[in-house]
Amino acid sequence: MEVFAEALGLLFGADWELRQILWVTLKMSLSSTAIAVCIGVPLGVLLGTGKFRGRKLILKIIHTLMGLPPVVAGLIVFLLLSRSGPLGSLRLLFSVPAMVIAQVVLITPIVTGLTSSMVSAKAPAVMETAAGIGLSRSRTLWLILRECRPQLVSVVLTGFGRAISEVGAVQLVGGNVQYKTRVMTTTIMLETNKGNFGLAVALGILLLLIAFVINALAGKLQEERP
Amino acid sequence: MMELVSLSKTYQGRRVLNIPALTLLEGQTYALLGANGSGKSTLLRILAGVLVPDAGRMRLPEESGQVGYLPQRPYGFQRSVLKNVTMALSSSYPRPEEAALAALGRVGMENMARENGSRLSGGETQRMAFARMIVRPRKLLLLDEPTSATDIAGNDLVEAALLEYQRETGCTVLMATHSLAQAARLCRRMIFLHRGEIVAEGPIRQLLDAPEDPHLREFLAHWRI
Repeated sequence: MEVFAEALGLLFGADWELRQILWVTLKMSLSSTAIAVCIGVPLGVLLGTGKFRGRKLILKIIHTLMGLPPVVAGLIVFLLLSRSGPLGSLRLLFSVPAMVIAQVVLITPIVTGLTSSMVSAKAPAVMETAAGIGLSRSRTLWLILRECRPQLVSVVLTGFGRAISEVGAVQLVGGNVQYKTRVMTTTIMLETNKGNFGLAVALGILLLLIAFVINALAGKLQEERP
Repeated sequence: MMELVSLSKTYQGRRVLNIPALTLLEGQTYALLGANGSGKSTLLRILAGVLVPDAGRMRLPEESGQVGYLPQRPYGFQRSVLKNVTMALSSSYPRPEEAALAALGRVGMENMARENGSRLSGGETQRMAFARMIVRPRKLLLLDEPTSATDIAGNDLVEAALLEYQRETGCTVLMATHSLAQAARLCRRMIFLHRGEIVAEGPIRQLLDAPEDPHLREFLAHWRI
């Protein structure tokens, strides 16, 4: 009970460190989700509607990457961004952009694979009907996306959920630097190890609240309008 | 006049369509008949540009939107029935909603204009899709069993709308159907497909009354039993 009282005190007292951690977490998760959606959705639409050589192989690679362990993604980005790595000159290691890059590597295959699956389920019927009334290719693609809107919201949510709950990759490339790259999940890990359960529980409650708000907003977006 | 020359399509090593030559006369209504798997839908889908043939040439109306194709299971989009119909019109089309309501009126759906197009029954979706087809003038209509899911009243409405539309526009119609009665009511000519090949083509009354091709005779025998 003491732990919960302390957690609520931190939450309602709007603790400065807690606010800072929340800000870094949201900045990182929203940025990485946005970038992954910008890359993954068009790629998923292309894979879900197109018929070209190598499509099946690309899909197999995407499906394999959907299960990429976060620490492996973190390790790849770490090696790329470390001083001796090919992108070391950018000096991004242990910064929020490095964490965003790691999460984009992790989330983009998920967004691509899920988009491709939902599009390939709807596309044949939509494309046949659209061709029958003489609609252009670009208008047809837009229609497919519009018809997949509720599922698309779920895809974005899945990506965001993965981003905000991720620990391994961001710990590796972010370094969990206080006031700089410390996010909710890495803080929960750290504070739990230190036996400081108050802040850990407060962050856990916040994570659940964010998930609830995001789901409520998504539910609104998923409502069909005639 | 519309022409097809040396058209062929193969699926997984099996030739599903092989048409050396076919001419469609302007303003004529053709019934496309044949057993399941005879290639009716494949032919319509190739003509609509949905499927690419392996070989062959086609001379069809080239302007965008001049060919209308109604698939066997048309799609109802998640928008109002009215918008489902206006989407077939270009943005510069004069008074699109008025045209859509008139087309819906022809298939008895003007009072359903505000309903969600994705939540209709199979028959209603077919009627809405037919309205979407006839909302603008076209030179060639390709219909794949356009009333397979409609009830008797819906069937009558679609047939009447088709006859009226053809009278007004003078378009050519190629309609796949499993109903000989419907084919005889609506069409003057008939194309009979057997295993992807046209084995009989000509005036429908003549072919129904005195079929020469053995496959057509066998097909018609099932109807007369």
